[in-house]
Amino acid sequence: MKTNCTQHKECLQVIQRILDKEATDEEVARFMANKDQCLPCQEGYDLELSLKKAIKNNCSVSCPSDLFARIKTKLFLVLILISILIPLFC
Amino acid sequence: MDIPVLDSKISPAKAHAIFQQEFFPHMDAMYNFALKLTNDEDEAQDLVQDTCMKAYRFIHSFEPGTYAKAWLFRILKNNFINDYRKKSRGPSKVEFEWVEQSITGDEDSEPAYQADLQAETVNEMLGDEITAAIQALPVDFRMIIILCDLEEFSYEEMARILNIPIGTVRSRLHRARALLKESLANYAKTKGYV
Repeated sequence: MKTNCTQHKECLQVIQRILDKEATDEEVARFMANKDQCLPCQEGYDLELSLKKAIKNNCSVSCPSDLFARIKTKLFLVLILISILIPLFC
Repeated sequence: MDIPVLDSKISPAKAHAIFQQEFFPHMDAMYNFALKLTNDEDEAQDLVQDTCMKAYRFIHSFEPGTYAKAWLFRILKNNFINDYRKKSRGPSKVEFEWVEQSITGDEDSEPAYQADLQAETVNEMLGDEITAAIQALPVDFRMIIILCDLEEFSYEEMARILNIPIGTVRSRLHRARALLKESLANYAKTKGYV
């Protein structure tokens, strides 16, 4: 197995495109065939995957329920007001 | 109350239905994005509320059945850039330089370092540590990482939301991740993870 990748910068870009579901089938096939033979590419793939999962699993917060209620009320009032005003101007 | 412009093409009942069916399911994602952009709960709440009112004002330009989330995120991002970013601190020199590099796509400007970080180290980190590292990124990089890794927008959708070419999406994302890995690697060293 290779312990040094001469094209690691390019490989890293391909890894990110693969994990972002933006790589072509050909790119995916070529990388996967090479990955088992190249340690830096394996480690790079694992790191990018871990980072993506960590962001997905840890960076979400929910909308506060009082904010949601406030927006609904404000919108409801605007729509009522417009329902009243439209017949007056049309 | 700031009353949106009357739009005779969309009836109030139809507007209400669009909000219920298409827009409200994305409230959590919108608030989360707003919070990541502003780093402030009160400002995030104001930003989401303003975005909803603007969404109503421009509802005639929304085509039901198209991707509502991307449409809303674009309004939110524009709202943030136009109104909120001015209120907060201006972009730092580092932020400006990094964004400039992303826009020019200058390959020579690639960060010289290779982050010394392993997947196992990331897996050991707490959620708060990951979140803090993202929050410490310049806002343009924070934005693109959230859009891609959390909200899972495609490059094309991100290009539309951010109003930048797809090539810039790719390079900005690559640089944002490089900076995030560098930040996490430094953090891991100081905390004794490695």
